[in-house]
Amino acid sequence: MQFFGGSEISPSPPMPTASGNNGHMMYIFNRNGICLLYREWNRPLKTLSSQQDYKLMFGLLFSLKSLTAKMDPTSVEKGNLGVPQLPGQGCSFHSFRTNTYKLSFMESPSGIKIILVTHPRTGDQRESLKYIYNLYVEYVVKNPLYSPGNPIQCELFNTTVDQYVRGLG
Amino acid sequence: MAAIYSLYIINKSGGLIFYKDYGSAGRMDTNDSLRLASLWHSMHAISQQLSPVSGCAGIELLQADTFDLHCFQSLTGNSSPLSTMPWIIRTKFFVVCEPGTVHMEALLKHIYELYTDYVLKNPFYEMEMPIRCELFDINLAQAVQKDRVALLAR
Repeated sequence: MQFFGGSEISPSPPMPTASGNNGHMMYIFNRNGICLLYREWNRPLKTLSSQQDYKLMFGLLFSLKSLTAKMDPTSVEKGNLGVPQLPGQGCSFHSFRTNTYKLSFMESPSGIKIILVTHPRTGDQRESLKYIYNLYVEYVVKNPLYSPGNPIQCELFNTTVDQYVRGLG
Repeated sequence: MAAIYSLYIINKSGGLIFYKDYGSAGRMDTNDSLRLASLWHSMHAISQQLSPVSGCAGIELLQADTFDLHCFQSLTGNSSPLSTMPWIIRTKFFVVCEPGTVHMEALLKHIYELYTDYVLKNPFYEMEMPIRCELFDINLAQAVQKDRVALLAR
C-alpha cells in the first residue's frame, strides 16, 4: 500500500521459485544491535531465552562480517581484524548454509539488518530481502506512530511479511 | 586469477594447524590467519546453537561478496565437554574460493583423504599439532593443480 500514487509497492515482489512454507524465522536489527522485530514461523528447537537469542544472532553477524572483511582475497588494504566499519564498507556476506538451515542477510546503508532463516535448499534470497526492506519502509518508517529505535508493533507489517514469507520458495 | 584463494585446516580446539595461500591479494601474516581460524571455529559453534531444528552440524558454505567459503568436517571427532554444546567437535577443513566455484566439496573430500594418508599415518606426526609433512605438501599441490587444470578445461 502506497500512500501517494499507485497501489503497488515498487519494485514488485520477486516471483517465488516454488510454493511452500520454507521460512523458519526473521530478525530485524537496527545499527545499535537492538532487535526491532522477531517473527517465528517454524522453530521446533529453541534453547535460549529471547534476549539471549537476539544477542547471539547479532554477535554472530557482527563477527562473521569482520571475518569476511579481513578474509577478502581481492582487496590489498584490509586493516586489522575487527576494525570498526560503516555499513557498506569492507567485504560483507549475503548468506550462509548449514545442513539444517540457510541464513540470508542484508544490511541497509542506514545499518538496518534483515535476517531471514529458511530451509537449506531455498535459492538466493537477496531480492526477497530487498522486498522485505521495502515493506519495512512502507509500513514502518512511513507510519507516523512509529518512533525509530523502538521495537516494531505494526500489525499491518506483520501480516504482510507473514503472507510474503509463506509464499517463498 | 586463481579459483582457490586459500586453504585452512583447524584442529578440534580451534587452533590453525595448516594454512596455504594460493594467490590472494594482500598477504596475511601468521597472527591474522591464526585469529581468523579461531574466529571461524567459534562462529561455526554459534551457528549450531542458533539452528531452528535439531541436528545442525555447522556452516557448510558462506557466501561473501567477493568469495565463497566451503567448510568440510572430518568424519570422526570428540564429543564436547560442555553440556550447552551437545555436538561432536571435529577437525575442520575450509577453502576460500571465487564465488560460484563448483566441485569444492569433492576437492575438500580429496584433501581429507590426503590428510588421513600423509598426516595421520605419519608416525612422526603428533595429533592436533601443526602439519609439517613434505609428502602432504607435494600431494596437496598436485590436487590443487589438477583442480585448476580441470577448471581451465571447462
